[in-house]
Amino acid sequence: MTATPEQTTATQTALQPVGGGGVVVVERKQPGQSYGQGIAKGMAVVIRHFAKSFTSRIDDKSDQAGMFTVEYPEERMELPEAYRNMPVLLYDDKTGQELCTSCFQCERICPPKVIHITQAKDPNTGKAVPAAEEFIIEYDSCMSCGLCHEICPFDAIKMDHFYELSTHDHLAMDQNKAALDRPISYYQAIAPNLWAAVEANAMKKLQNNVKRRPGNIGVAPHMIGKTQKALPTAAAAGAGAAAAARPKTPVAAIGKNMSPEKVARLEAIRAAKRGGATMPGESEIVAPSPVASGESGLHVAESQAGLAPSPATTPAPATGPVAAVGQSMSDEKKARLEAIRAAKRAQGGGQ
Amino acid sequence: MRAMWEFFFGVGWLATLTSYLTITTAILVAGSLVMMLLTWIERRGLGYMQDRKGPNRVGPFGLFQPIAEAIKTITKEDITPTDADRWVHFLAPVVILASTVAAFAVIPWGNLIPVDINVGVLYIVAVSAVHTVGILMAGWASNNKFALLGGMRGVAQAISYEIPQVLSLVSIVMLVGSMSVVDVIQNQMDPYGNILSWHIFTPVGLLSFIVFWIASLAEGERPPFDNPEAESELVAGYMTEYGGMKFAVLFLANYLTNFAICAVTAGVFLGGGNGPGSDIPILGTLLSVFYFLAKSLGLFFVMVWIRGVVPRLRIDELMHFAWKFLLPLALVNIFSTSLWIAIIRWGAEQGMGIAEALGAPGSIARIAVAWVVTAIINVVAFFLVARLNATRGVTTYQATPTAV
Repeated sequence: MTATPEQTTATQTALQPVGGGGVVVVERKQPGQSYGQGIAKGMAVVIRHFAKSFTSRIDDKSDQAGMFTVEYPEERMELPEAYRNMPVLLYDDKTGQELCTSCFQCERICPPKVIHITQAKDPNTGKAVPAAEEFIIEYDSCMSCGLCHEICPFDAIKMDHFYELSTHDHLAMDQNKAALDRPISYYQAIAPNLWAAVEANAMKKLQNNVKRRPGNIGVAPHMIGKTQKALPTAAAAGAGAAAAARPKTPVAAIGKNMSPEKVARLEAIRAAKRGGATMPGESEIVAPSPVASGESGLHVAESQAGLAPSPATTPAPATGPVAAVGQSMSDEKKARLEAIRAAKRAQGGGQ
Repeated sequence: MRAMWEFFFGVGWLATLTSYLTITTAILVAGSLVMMLLTWIERRGLGYMQDRKGPNRVGPFGLFQPIAEAIKTITKEDITPTDADRWVHFLAPVVILASTVAAFAVIPWGNLIPVDINVGVLYIVAVSAVHTVGILMAGWASNNKFALLGGMRGVAQAISYEIPQVLSLVSIVMLVGSMSVVDVIQNQMDPYGNILSWHIFTPVGLLSFIVFWIASLAEGERPPFDNPEAESELVAGYMTEYGGMKFAVLFLANYLTNFAICAVTAGVFLGGGNGPGSDIPILGTLLSVFYFLAKSLGLFFVMVWIRGVVPRLRIDELMHFAWKFLLPLALVNIFSTSLWIAIIRWGAEQGMGIAEALGAPGSIARIAVAWVVTAIINVVAFFLVARLNATRGVTTYQATPTAV
């Protein structure tokens, strides 16, 4: 390593060489530390810690002294609500209906690829039903990243607080759906605030899905036969309204109370903005839109729309994707849906 | 003891042999038990100093933890490295332990005195110096660079710190006028049970205590002077190639050395087993053992406390501290001790006619003058030496060679 002459000069002036040999003297005198005072201060600190360890515990992060140890098997630390260990599936306490619709979002995002879902099929028609037939997570390879919990549009997969999982049996760590199922009340107990934030939305979606589940499909295995087929209800009153009021997507900018003319104008503006950015065949399976969540037939319509490649490169109100929305809808509704989709496409195109 | 065995055997030499074997066994057993207690005190004490609990699972308060560890070390395989010098490697722990245990021969446990020899203080110093040989044997025989470095460090450190240690004891021997440990303790016995008669409560004794205590920490390889076994630099120093029971013996010797240091310090400076009621015939013996153990273990706690505070010294700082700080102080202390003796005891016959003016030898006025004079000398010496070291001892660094 070579240095420029400037650097050499700078180093020498900064360090004040003594003599010619590049030996520098660094003064490290600090007041109040000579003649053994420094050691005396240190000993005072240590004996204070020693004494406080008998009398107090470190409870608060600002505590500087006190017993730090939590004697694990007898004592346990209080886990924060957002603590995450292993993912579990939620089901409704009363009806046993699972929140999972086998949308495969978690399976897709899982970094170590330990989630394996089989979609349930209607035994009569052979068509897919929004429920999981089997749901397997390999706990031994799960890295507890929590991405499945974050991505889940139906709040069906949540991170458990249970951490005593050590075992000799590797294969027993593969958890099937029966082992993963937890009642909502369990999650509510470990994470009350987190559940309260999503409850209304999740229960609304569950209600919609349950309508399309024939027989016992989608019911937690151990709850079959113990409950009657009924629509699960959210604990909070006015769930739908609450969900609708919460602005989550840009679509919410188009208010429910707007006049049809205004909506149409907004829609036109957005369509102009997005230009021709939409890719052919763009999938639109997921529609967790608060505005549309009140419509019962929406999911069916949208999944149909998603199956068909959308050829629209220009917004055509009558012949575009809107045509798939449903013939029986009112004009106002169609306009709103179109606006939503346009906004989504704009979002997708912008990324 | 001897009389008891003579009664049973009726043979003089057999009775003598048996009685001393009994005493030796008692010292070894008590030593091992104390060593277990010391490791417990050290680990629990350090734990609480660091806001944690320390070993607390085996037995009440973790008191049986040392037993569990003894079982562990006993059941371990005894390994000698292929390239090691087998016999020296085997003998090193023996030498170290033997020299340590031998020191206990003259240390009185309160009123229980194993042997009272008239050069007890010299004997302790001489015998515990032998363990330096054991350290060098262990370091050399292991055929391992870390072990050798640790052994060399241990020898350099032990030899350097022996000098201030012995010189500080010289002051006390001068004060007492005898080298017998029992006499040293008796000298601190006050008829009124006053703890101010302890050596540590005189200016001379205090400085002597400070120098002796610091030097003894280095002799016993206690932090901050644990360079011979500096685990961050030398794995475990001269103990690197030892495992199982040999390691346990080295460990035992280490803690026994520490306990011997505490016991000697308690005896020489803190009055040993002296305390209220220690001169009552039978109960007093028990009380004196209690006082002795309380003082020794209290001093050991101070060792742990120091370990919790001070980081390890660099090897050159270690040497500077012994030769440039402790040694001058010990020499000054010998000077002020002689002044103390002259002022308190001497008269016109010894050429101290001035002292006669203060009153009879040992009078209050003489003691007061001696106190003031020695206190001034020692305090000035302390600050002067510290000051000189502070200005002389600036840290120098070799600047990075530039433009080469």
